[in-house]
Amino acid sequence: MMNYQNEPHGVFFLIDNKSFYASVEAVARGLNPLKVTLVVMSEADNTNGGLVLATSPEAKLRYHLQANVSRQREVPQDPQLMVVPPRMNLYIKRNLQINDIFRRFVANEDLMPYSIDESILDVTHSWQLFGQTPREVAVRIQKTVRRELGLYTTVGIGDNPLQAKLALDLYAKHTPDLIGEIHYDTVPKTIWPVDQLTDVWSIGKRTAKHLNRLGIHNMYELAHVDPYQLNAEMGLMGQQLFALAWGIDRSQLRKRRGPKNASLGNSQVLPRDYVQQAEIETVIKEVGEQVAARLRHHHKLAGCISLGVGFSYAASEADGRSGFHQELRIVPTDQNVVISQALLQIFHQHWQGQAIRNLAVYTSRLSPATGLQLNFFEPAKNQIKRVKADHVVDDIRDQFGFTKLVYASSLMHGGTAISRASLVGGHNGGNAYE
Amino acid sequence: MNNDLKLITTRLDAGFKRQDQVRYQVVIANDPYDQTYNFFLNYQHRNRRLKSQPLHSVRNYSLTYLEQLIQGLRDHTQLSFEFVGFTGQRWPTSQQRIQFRRLNDE
Repeated sequence: MMNYQNEPHGVFFLIDNKSFYASVEAVARGLNPLKVTLVVMSEADNTNGGLVLATSPEAKLRYHLQANVSRQREVPQDPQLMVVPPRMNLYIKRNLQINDIFRRFVANEDLMPYSIDESILDVTHSWQLFGQTPREVAVRIQKTVRRELGLYTTVGIGDNPLQAKLALDLYAKHTPDLIGEIHYDTVPKTIWPVDQLTDVWSIGKRTAKHLNRLGIHNMYELAHVDPYQLNAEMGLMGQQLFALAWGIDRSQLRKRRGPKNASLGNSQVLPRDYVQQAEIETVIKEVGEQVAARLRHHHKLAGCISLGVGFSYAASEADGRSGFHQELRIVPTDQNVVISQALLQIFHQHWQGQAIRNLAVYTSRLSPATGLQLNFFEPAKNQIKRVKADHVVDDIRDQFGFTKLVYASSLMHGGTAISRASLVGGHNGGNAYE
Repeated sequence: MNNDLKLITTRLDAGFKRQDQVRYQVVIANDPYDQTYNFFLNYQHRNRRLKSQPLHSVRNYSLTYLEQLIQGLRDHTQLSFEFVGFTGQRWPTSQQRIQFRRLNDE
């Protein structure tokens, strides 16, 4: 048996929204999120007809649809079913409202938004103010959110954030009161019986396969493996997985760690396979300029730039690779021209005529933009002018909107910048409907 | 014509494509959480999925205002209207009930 005495003991809630997007849309239509049969479907150009972003619990039950996986063709033509377009900005607004409600129950530093519909609450120091037991407090939070926003929430309760997360994923979502609990003393009967490794947070398909090769097929076996052996095989991740199986998590919510090396970039799935060089170059330039504009907004210079290219399905079958990903060191910059040129250089070096479906541009080795480093090989006037031009374009776009000033190349066949300008997270932002 | 009505009618006209075998309906939902009236255009081809397109959210949360707005909208379009979340409420001037029966999934 594990000695948990020195492990951190607190009271943690992991709260998520039941079918968040679908519930928000149901409430906006005056309908009950748990009764309505509704799916939120993005019909952006690159979703191949339509991608299901969220389904109401009822639709999930009836048609076995999966958010972010199911496609338009898998959604039955049932007259009972309501299909609505996404409004990402509305969901962001609701998320902020929900977190504001949480702040009535915990101090700001004890609240960590984990995703658009999940938050971690460290209620160790405050739960006693709101009820006799943590579960009572959880019910109270659920009722508050339901009363004020009409949404249903699920709560995982644990002695640390990890237990709360597992309680949420493994139990809360399947109980009638939408609350699940895992504590140190219930780890053996709550975590170990899990048969599918991939059901557990942080274990994906590849990790599960790796563990299978080591003779580990369920959580019980993971908890009873020799941790030193696991460490030798998988390194730090091995230790972490072993801790996971025993429900141990030493992270402290109050001490947030930022990323060691920040990076900044954008990626997109293209609406169709791109074959012609000129078309692909247009999109690469557009994405490069978008990333450069974001660098300037953050007042950062990038010292390294990477281009990721994903081949179309047919091309990756023929090629054997699914794409390529290359990096290039550059003189720290935030200029459109320099970044686009570097990207095109990578592209020309590695592209051999394959059809393309994904593009990703990322910049790293960021440093603060404190000034312009001039070089000797070009008149200083030209260099300064180029920088100013970028900033003027940024200012115009900030004031009047992105589409009011675009490069002519974006109007050519293949450009995606204009049609993507109104998207939020790749989907319809819904601004136009506010 | 006020701004709310203008937005709703332009978006309604853009969405109302008069396709064959398609039923179009304007839905007005009472959103007590946000204190708004939300307008949607619902349309459904026979035996197909129902699609619901958001038109506008009216922030002026008073039935008197909504009544005027609906009147303006009725002058503009012949489409049928459906009210959701109004059970028990009556129009201020005509004293007619707004919504007669609660929906099953309300």
